[in-house]
Amino acid sequence: MTLPRSLRLQGVAFGLALAATTGVAFAQSAADRAVEAAKQYAGETLNITWEAGLQALDPLNHSGPIWEELTGVKINVVEIPINELFTKTIAEHRAGTGAYDMLNVVPAWMPDMVEAGVLEPLDAYVDKYGYREELQDIAPTYRDNQMTYGDQIYGLPDDGDVFLLYYRTDLFGDEANQAAFQEAYGYDLAPPKTWDEFYDISKFFTDNGGGDLYGSALILSPGLVHYLYEMRLRTAGGRFFDPETMDAQIGSDIAVAVLEDMVRQLDNMPPGAAGWGPIEVLNAWLAGELAMQIWWPPPGRWSAGYGVDTEALSWLPESTIAGNVGYALPPGGHPELAAGFALCVSSNSEKKELAYLFAQWLNSRDFSISRVTLPFALRDPFRTSHFNSEEYKALWPAAGDYLAALQDAAETGLLDLSIIDTFAYEESLTRAVVAALAGQDARTVLDQATEEWNEITEEIGVDDQREAYMVWSSKPGAYPN
Amino acid sequence: MSVRSGPGEASALDLFADKHFRWLIVWPAILVLLLVGLFPVVYSLIVSFQKITRRVTDTSFHGFYNYERLLGDERFWDAVLNTATITIIALPLQLVLGLALARLFLDSFPGRQILIAVVLLPAVIAPFVSGAIWRLMFDNIFGSINEILRLILGDFDLIWLVNSDPVVVFSTILIAEVWQWTPFMFLILLAAWTNVDRSQIEAAEIDGASGWRTFRYIVLPAIRPVIFVALTIRGLDLVRLFDVVWGLTRGGPGNMTETISIYAYIKGFEMFNISLTAAFTFTVIIALSLLMMIVLKRVAITA
Repeated sequence: MTLPRSLRLQGVAFGLALAATTGVAFAQSAADRAVEAAKQYAGETLNITWEAGLQALDPLNHSGPIWEELTGVKINVVEIPINELFTKTIAEHRAGTGAYDMLNVVPAWMPDMVEAGVLEPLDAYVDKYGYREELQDIAPTYRDNQMTYGDQIYGLPDDGDVFLLYYRTDLFGDEANQAAFQEAYGYDLAPPKTWDEFYDISKFFTDNGGGDLYGSALILSPGLVHYLYEMRLRTAGGRFFDPETMDAQIGSDIAVAVLEDMVRQLDNMPPGAAGWGPIEVLNAWLAGELAMQIWWPPPGRWSAGYGVDTEALSWLPESTIAGNVGYALPPGGHPELAAGFALCVSSNSEKKELAYLFAQWLNSRDFSISRVTLPFALRDPFRTSHFNSEEYKALWPAAGDYLAALQDAAETGLLDLSIIDTFAYEESLTRAVVAALAGQDARTVLDQATEEWNEITEEIGVDDQREAYMVWSSKPGAYPN
Repeated sequence: MSVRSGPGEASALDLFADKHFRWLIVWPAILVLLLVGLFPVVYSLIVSFQKITRRVTDTSFHGFYNYERLLGDERFWDAVLNTATITIIALPLQLVLGLALARLFLDSFPGRQILIAVVLLPAVIAPFVSGAIWRLMFDNIFGSINEILRLILGDFDLIWLVNSDPVVVFSTILIAEVWQWTPFMFLILLAAWTNVDRSQIEAAEIDGASGWRTFRYIVLPAIRPVIFVALTIRGLDLVRLFDVVWGLTRGGPGNMTETISIYAYIKGFEMFNISLTAAFTFTVIIALSLLMMIVLKRVAITA
């Protein structure tokens, strides 16, 4: 695939600017230092893992070619589907192949990766290449929670993934809708602050939509639905574990009530939405069939029509709602910082320093802005400078509101659970939630999941897991304040 | 000892080579088979008595710890039950439909070869792709199945894949599985049926035997060994069923349709419970060996 002319020019212009100003304007910049240091490795090839699909178009078509032009170092992108990224990374490490140099790691996996010895500590490189100051520009949520394990830096937070509530401003602002809603429910029609309000608003639009418009749809597919449940559980006051005994708390009354409410919300969603993943929700949203939905940041851009004319996004249905999209925090006010990515260096790599330099350059203040404004690559703003970027705010009329909502979400967001063997807990929880959404009794499935969680904890060792849980739960974004 | 010998006399080396020639030419193959086949089995057996996970590489002897965990895991037994259910229903269906198709294509008619090729098409599709295609077809909004049923039944809307009714969800798997592998059964049975002695069939027809009686007493005994082989191959395939189910339901909703292969995949390759998965492998090998012994014995008695 080819980049649209405007983006090619953007990339080349940036590359040339970097090259031309070496030793001058960027003399003190982290990006420049990385480029200068990497030139000694010209002719070498770095193997990097990246989520397959749109995400990988960043290193394939944008950052990779520019880096090669600047340094002479080639980038070989190993695309891996997101649900295999953890297992393949671990499997390669265990096999000791040294196949990967730089890794994309979901921050929640960091404890497991560090414990398994997969990740190289980065502190020495950060100091050597003067990157600490620029790390301070990364939004505190990501910097403080997704960069370190113990006292050491293992990854450079590189993606501002967070859930946002998207709503139709034309429908919410319609006077007839406002009056009818006020009459029916006794309060103003506005972005919902609670899940009960979410239900009411969703029902209102579904009841009046005539089958062409539904109140909402959410990402409920296996592998992703746990994000929504984890967010809802914690904003409702639930906990994952008893910190003393490490007994699982996902079968508590609060947890059951949350799951039952998730099932209840299906009343107002399109038929079959219990199995909908991101693409189904996105399609319905862009087609104007939903009044609200909760997703990661990209639909904020695509709904406005930004970049949707690029070839990589040709599969997207045309947005019928451009100019009519509002951004807000999901009910509960504490959105899940769902997934995200950190750039890490493989401990098996024979080119650790070069891998780090590429990561620093990608992540740097100067270069990362070009990556988060790529319309198709799914990297979302994660630096304070991104949120304040005038260049970004000019991309579409409501981009300023979008960035403000993202920054707000980042500041109040909840971290994904990140303990030892997180994946095993999530897998168990996902099965329970999906079973309940399919119609099984919420308490029964959560009781079973609770039993499985306790077995997993027992297998890992209660003390070891307690220690990991205490580290995680002491972070500001683990539970709502 | 001298191995020298005079002209016309065989040397000791020649004698040795002559005597053990058959072994000499097969030992490289045996060695390769042992290395490729037996070594992993033995290695897995050893691992099944250790405790190797993603976090721990404890190679000391842990007795039957992993086997106890496996057999005490309710999810494992659910997977066994699911696998058995699919096998018990799909296998006879494939056999009956395969036989019916074989009978249909037994006689020559215009376009027969082309139609046989068309019937065989599902069997050449990768099973995972088949599962993914059926997943799309069973989609309650965009899928063709509901669309067709709506045309026939009018107002019809069934959510096939995210449904708490096991009958509905298992139906999708069975339809996909039977659709894909009935052609395999058909092909084998057609070949067997074609080779049945025509003179016996003609004699029976001259004697006034009905089609069913001809099939029951002449065709069936003649093709029984082939049926047994076909059932064995398909039965073993069904026991290790993975792709179609993974493509369709990923073992869900929950673990409603999880087969033992999916269970092993998740435990081994997603959770890295290496020793537990090795114990699983051996449990399945032992169970299948016992089952095959019983089946073979019964077949031998029947024969």
